[in-house]
Amino acid sequence: MATISVSQSIAAPKKRARGLIITRVSFFNAKTLLAAGAFYILLIALVVGLLFPTLSSVNLGAYLTSNAVAGLVGAKLKDVSSFSALLALELYSSFYALIWGGIIAYMAGASLPATIENGTIDLALSRPISRTRYFLELWFSAVLGAIFLSLTTALSVWISALFVQNANIDWGWLAIAELIELALMFLASGIGMLFGSFLNASRAAGGAAFGIIGLAYLMNTLGTLSDKLTWMLKIEPLYYTQGIQALAEHSITNWYPAVLVVAGLICGIAGLVIFNRRDLPTT
Amino acid sequence: MTTQDPVIVIDNFHKSYGKIQAVKGISMRVERGEIFGFLGPNGAGKTTTIRCMLDVIRPTSGTLRVLGLDAQRDKMELHRRIGYLPGDVRLPGQMTGKQIINYFSRLQGLKPVLLNDLLARFDVEIKRPLKGYSKGMRQKIGIVLAFMCDPEILILDEPTSGLDPLLQRTFNEFLLQEQQRGKTIFMSSHIMSDVEKVCQRVAVIRQGEIVTIEEVEKLRQKAGQRVVVEFGDSVSIDELSHMPGVSNVTSHNHAYHFNVGGSMDALIKALSRHEVLRLQAEEAPLEEVFLQFYEIPQAETSTPGTR
Repeated sequence: MATISVSQSIAAPKKRARGLIITRVSFFNAKTLLAAGAFYILLIALVVGLLFPTLSSVNLGAYLTSNAVAGLVGAKLKDVSSFSALLALELYSSFYALIWGGIIAYMAGASLPATIENGTIDLALSRPISRTRYFLELWFSAVLGAIFLSLTTALSVWISALFVQNANIDWGWLAIAELIELALMFLASGIGMLFGSFLNASRAAGGAAFGIIGLAYLMNTLGTLSDKLTWMLKIEPLYYTQGIQALAEHSITNWYPAVLVVAGLICGIAGLVIFNRRDLPTT
Repeated sequence: MTTQDPVIVIDNFHKSYGKIQAVKGISMRVERGEIFGFLGPNGAGKTTTIRCMLDVIRPTSGTLRVLGLDAQRDKMELHRRIGYLPGDVRLPGQMTGKQIINYFSRLQGLKPVLLNDLLARFDVEIKRPLKGYSKGMRQKIGIVLAFMCDPEILILDEPTSGLDPLLQRTFNEFLLQEQQRGKTIFMSSHIMSDVEKVCQRVAVIRQGEIVTIEEVEKLRQKAGQRVVVEFGDSVSIDELSHMPGVSNVTSHNHAYHFNVGGSMDALIKALSRHEVLRLQAEEAPLEEVFLQFYEIPQAETSTPGTR
């Protein structure tokens, strides 16, 4: 083994830019989850594009506009014969909000406890990094994950449209639908960060956050199916997520996305306050 | 803060977890440029104290100041000047050693000026993913992370844990060199031989309370001599036990083993009344002194002190 004497005159260390190194590492750690989400988005879009000519020749209108399907997708569409409407059903309905939102909720929920589990949080917080910055960078990595899924969806729709003659997609409304889905995923990230702020196990925190999105989907389905349960819709986030209506029917309630963003901010800020106050565990 | 001021000042520090009192009002000072040992059995409160110094957990009451800065209020400024090695170095398995070094160097906001020296000195492998690393290899990475940006003060929790004897010696030599460069080092340990080799002073903590703070040299004097005597005539254990300064008498293979505190002169005069076939004396291991602090109830130990 080499023995090397440390020089008595070592130059003072030069400053080094931090960048968003915590965000970068956290985003990289979620690569499998995000890749799986992106794969299914692309697969679904391609399947819809390739099968649209066949599907359009089959009369599925009665089925797709039924109450049962309305409960599953979170919206009762008037006309589902267009390519846009079919894409909206497959990529922007509440069922897919459950999956993509769930992925982001899990990613955000697991991000902070994962650093407790892998032992890096003590080492990181012994550096000149505030807890607030640490939390916000992790949150930002989940938001980047949401943006990644959103861009993947838009790209997949574009690729899918290449297979369809006269696809007639209104790209402006597609962008609005994406922004609405993004608002939901922002809320999902806030819910995840809230759970991650006080749970020490990544699977428990990610699973709990995913569970909240799952519960919202259940409430959305039940609320859509029965007039007596419409109150359920008003207190769950998927009701305010009108991506499907935006793309299929070009109509939304303007202030609904703001509900999602504000709720996401409230959850995230609550998580930040909890994280700043708590003692961190050794395990 | 002047160069005369203590680098670490802990005053009446309490930490409770619900009804459990982990640390019960400890106070101590660590002077600039010293290597200070923080000793105690598992669960005594060593890691709790260190983690409070880094603001990873918060004190219930009391103050912790490092380099004249409050451990909570001024932590950003303080953490720029601290190197920390946790007790259990666990690292993300998917990253390589090189990536983790880059990550923590960026978080520190400084280039790792000592990196090459450390990698060579401790023979550290950084190209493989960390998931294949043994406990000792992770510990070496932990040491690199603590020292690489050349911090003013090092806070090390069980630094030699998992290192082989050769590396322990290398590490101890390195600590002494760093001390010569003006670094202050606060290290917790329960490996007493390490502490004995590098520390100037030690604090012993047991069940959340400081049992003693003492210079290692004075503890060594307290430990006295370990003596082995073989007699040609008959001598009882009881008689030996009453000789000046003698304690812990045992007999083994016709020889008596005991500790002697203070001067040997009175003992030799007392022994001269008998036929002595063999007399052997050596420094008693410091470990015995530490173990006394660990085991004896506090009311029976010497007065707890702070400095």
